[in-house]
Amino acid sequence: MAENEIKKQAETEEPRIGVFICHCGLNIAGVLDIKELVEYARTLPNVVYVKDNRYTCADPGQEEIRKAIKEHKLNRVVVAACSPRMHEPTFRRTVSDVDLNPFLFEMANIREFSSWCHPNSPEEATEKAKELIKMAVAKSRLLRPLQTIEVPVTNKALVVGGGIAGMNAALDLAEMGFKVYLLEKSESIGGHMAQLDKTFPTLDCSICIEGPKMVDVGRHSNIEIISNADLLSVSGFIGNFKVKIRKNPRYIIAENCTGCGECKDACPIEYPNEWDMNLGVRKSISVPFDQSVPLVYTINKDYCIECYKCVDACGARQAINFEQQPEEIEIEVGAIIVSTGFDVYLPYDDPLYGYGKYANVITSLEFERLILAAGPTGGKVIRASDGHKPHTVAFIQCVGSRDVNKYPYCSNFCCMYTLKHVVQLKEKYKQDVEVYVFYMDMRSPFKGYEEFYDRARELGVNFIRGRVSRILEVPETNNLVIHAEDMTLGQPIEIESEMVVLATAAIPKKGTDEMARVLNLTRGADGFFMESHPKLKPIDTPTDGIFLAGACQGLKDIPYSVSQGSGAASRAATVLSKPKWKIEPIVSVIDPTKCRNVTAKCGICAERCPYGSIKVEEKKAAEVITAMCHGCGTCVAECPADAITQMHFTDAQIVAQIRAALETNPEGKILAFLCNWCSYAGADLAGTSRFEYPPIIRPIRVMCSGRVDRDFILEALRLGAGMVLVGACHLPYDCHYISGNWKMKARMDALAPMLQKLGLSAERFRVEYVSAAEGVRFAELIREMTEQLHTLGKDKIIAENAKLKPVLENMLKRKQQK
Amino acid sequence: MPLKTMKTDTAETLTLEWILHVKNYKLTIDKNLCVGCQICVLACPKEAIKIEKQSKVQGEKARKAKVDADLQKCNFCGICDVLCPYGAIKVTLNGEHALSVVEKESFPQLIRDIQVDASKCPADCVECEEACPLDLIKISRLTADGKVVENVGSPTKRKRKKLQVKVDVDKERCPCCRICEFKCPEGVMRVRKFFYGKIVIHPDKCPEGCTDCLDVCPITGALYLSDEDKKVRVNELFCVYCGACKVVCPVEEALELKRTKTSHTAVRSGAWNKALERLASPVEITKELKAKGSLRARDSVEKRLGWKSA
Repeated sequence: MAENEIKKQAETEEPRIGVFICHCGLNIAGVLDIKELVEYARTLPNVVYVKDNRYTCADPGQEEIRKAIKEHKLNRVVVAACSPRMHEPTFRRTVSDVDLNPFLFEMANIREFSSWCHPNSPEEATEKAKELIKMAVAKSRLLRPLQTIEVPVTNKALVVGGGIAGMNAALDLAEMGFKVYLLEKSESIGGHMAQLDKTFPTLDCSICIEGPKMVDVGRHSNIEIISNADLLSVSGFIGNFKVKIRKNPRYIIAENCTGCGECKDACPIEYPNEWDMNLGVRKSISVPFDQSVPLVYTINKDYCIECYKCVDACGARQAINFEQQPEEIEIEVGAIIVSTGFDVYLPYDDPLYGYGKYANVITSLEFERLILAAGPTGGKVIRASDGHKPHTVAFIQCVGSRDVNKYPYCSNFCCMYTLKHVVQLKEKYKQDVEVYVFYMDMRSPFKGYEEFYDRARELGVNFIRGRVSRILEVPETNNLVIHAEDMTLGQPIEIESEMVVLATAAIPKKGTDEMARVLNLTRGADGFFMESHPKLKPIDTPTDGIFLAGACQGLKDIPYSVSQGSGAASRAATVLSKPKWKIEPIVSVIDPTKCRNVTAKCGICAERCPYGSIKVEEKKAAEVITAMCHGCGTCVAECPADAITQMHFTDAQIVAQIRAALETNPEGKILAFLCNWCSYAGADLAGTSRFEYPPIIRPIRVMCSGRVDRDFILEALRLGAGMVLVGACHLPYDCHYISGNWKMKARMDALAPMLQKLGLSAERFRVEYVSAAEGVRFAELIREMTEQLHTLGKDKIIAENAKLKPVLENMLKRKQQK
Repeated sequence: MPLKTMKTDTAETLTLEWILHVKNYKLTIDKNLCVGCQICVLACPKEAIKIEKQSKVQGEKARKAKVDADLQKCNFCGICDVLCPYGAIKVTLNGEHALSVVEKESFPQLIRDIQVDASKCPADCVECEEACPLDLIKISRLTADGKVVENVGSPTKRKRKKLQVKVDVDKERCPCCRICEFKCPEGVMRVRKFFYGKIVIHPDKCPEGCTDCLDVCPITGALYLSDEDKKVRVNELFCVYCGACKVVCPVEEALELKRTKTSHTAVRSGAWNKALERLASPVEITKELKAKGSLRARDSVEKRLGWKSA
């Protein structure tokens, strides 16, 4: 929308509000009295037009809005329907179709917050809906047109992690014509897939299919691999990230290294090869595996004795430089794809399995390196204790996974790789090997997987459903006696096996927490990175312009990692393909005339901003770097001079909502401030799940609980609210603005005792943490609070309020004058 | 099997181990053979070996310093094995003595130049066997048909002349002190030291009655107590410059020990240059490099020491 249009709309004298009430079929109309709502809405100040539709979001409904704006010269639109989390973007587009600024639109959530959660008390629900509309109208009167902010986009991408997911993301983006930096922590790209022998369910050789892809990545003119390097910091914002990377020294000049390996042959020193799960060794100057990309050798100075035999062997190529230092570089990218993968749990700490204690107990990844032809044993499955081939091998599933004491989640691919291992063993050694698999449930849900399970059963593998209770070693033979329960027989069994293979849990990559900090990402309870939405935004992260691919977001096997890699590439391309990126203008603005920093040393806003987007210089008003501002509003609530305003969530707008909500019968109501991402979403979920709770709550949506000003609480209590609730994302990591909830907590922790001192019952002011998934919890919380409200009794509340009011009025004088 | 790293420390031996699924690296230090000198400590490129002076009990003899090795730092390269004058350290791979640094010519071997012309040995002479301070010499006598004769005393003089004498020296453990050579009445032994150097004791700096250096010296006769002032003196003829004395000496500057030259097989190796630098001195290494004409390596050392400009 053009600048002058906005000016025009901002200057319009009197608000002309249109209210559209949606039936949502019977979803709303089945509970609420629409007629009454329409009549009521007409009585609200500045409302010049009211209309109800069967489906406002459908084309005819939208057309009616457009028509009404033109015909009735509406300059504000309120739609009372579902949650703004659902259709706010839809209606914003609708109004902007007819040149009404999209930020002059407001929603009243009368479906999730009323008809769906109070189906058995239609009258009270209608009453609540009326007030929700009233609150929305009150806010809409004060709405101001805003212009979407545009930032330039650097059309290069960074992919962090060169496993199969990251490689695919990089290749896809490179093929689309974008420059891609592929950052890899270890010496070679390839990830875990390069460690595997075969892949299920087709049994094709892993490196044979991944190797060529690795070479493609290495050769692509648009891809620059930065390997053996660490991600140090990321600053900036979507379209404009600045990334600092440290290239760790290989002590090899990459351009001169031909990968011939003559240095390796000359080197006298060997050390355990992590790539081989430490089953075998590599030279102090070497590549982790023959197909490494880039094929550049690395000297491990932890082991090197600096005899310089490699220097002699390298000769005229002069590729070795012992003086190499770590090098820091900075790159600029427009989008980042995170594909940092996973680690494998090593069950040293669980005495049940004897891992690390008994020589013939190994993990599945170790087994993978044993059966691999290029592995340290040349593909021979042999026991560590005596070097003999085992005649019985027992596989134990869910070691650490699906275990409430370790990792409660299912590691996704273990059932399938164990099936692969047993098929490989059976096909390699035929009748010469007896194979047992101890499992809880065999999970084989994808294409061709169940058939593969059948194949294993046809080969005569013994599948035993039951948990292993302990494993003991026979000292003479180093065989292992497995004690387990056979659930099919319903009795304990004992099996002696010459080798035990543990299918251990896959766990978040070491350093995931550090990575989360650097990239401003959140992590789920399982420790993996959280996507923006589990269903609809499984690749996006809460930080715009950063996307997820592969197992770092949640465990997945190769085909799904590949798919997600491509998915992330396409999501990143939606950013990179644009010359400019639009940012929602719900940002903070500082009034330089009010800012204290001009005269005194303040800087509280800069200190509290979770994104470091406020610049404070001595004797100057603080300044918001708009493109970096994520719009949480924490600074607004923190500012001691009230000099900061959050656009679209101004103090005046929120106070108007508070006053509208508490105009009648305030003692009987709970006024709630809910953060958009967690507690508001949790309340929405309570509605969609039809969890019923008492209809006495009046919710106000803020982007982040960090926005909840102390004055809002005081104002609500001054007006006599029965209870005040602040709903936030769970501590410590769930906040979508990194730490807004912590800032709110500190503020409210100071406020609560003060209010109690003034005579407020403790239960009347609460801070609660509700996640987007906790609909039940939200409903329970409101039920519990309602009960407390009744226990306290109206009289007591009124008496408390009478005592509090003069004090609060005094405190709020500043606000009152506005 | 996951990698197992182990350190076992008993009264007799100290072992470090890496046990991999397919390989087993082991370093064994025989504490009986170890004299507590500092050669391995100086030679180790990873600074994985430490030697610790033992506290002295009043009135008792000084005890040799105690050796300790760090499992975290050791890379089983075997340089300590190569250089130990007393053969106290062994590095094995899968149970077999393995010195890949020597095989790959990335480190030289000490030359233990011990020559014995046993044909000149009188059948009943056991001087060298008795003289060896470390019991490394074994003399045996064989008849013409190869039978071992246990008792040389009984046969007639003529028969005795016909006996063939064999002198076996346990070379791996020999520090080449040359005592046997000097004790041999017939001059059949010829021993060359592998460390050369200079050792000086300043009796004026020695504490009254201190014989710590003498107590720990494994070579009888290399150090002795002077009859005049009851202080320790050096007989440089037999000193092997191992430094066991220097480690226990309680007074700085009372005992000066400097290694200069080393007798070793010819290799070009940075690891050796560094070891030599620590064992002897930077001066010696530049000398050696000059002798070998390794100009580039010499330049780098001189540059590192800041001598280049001078």
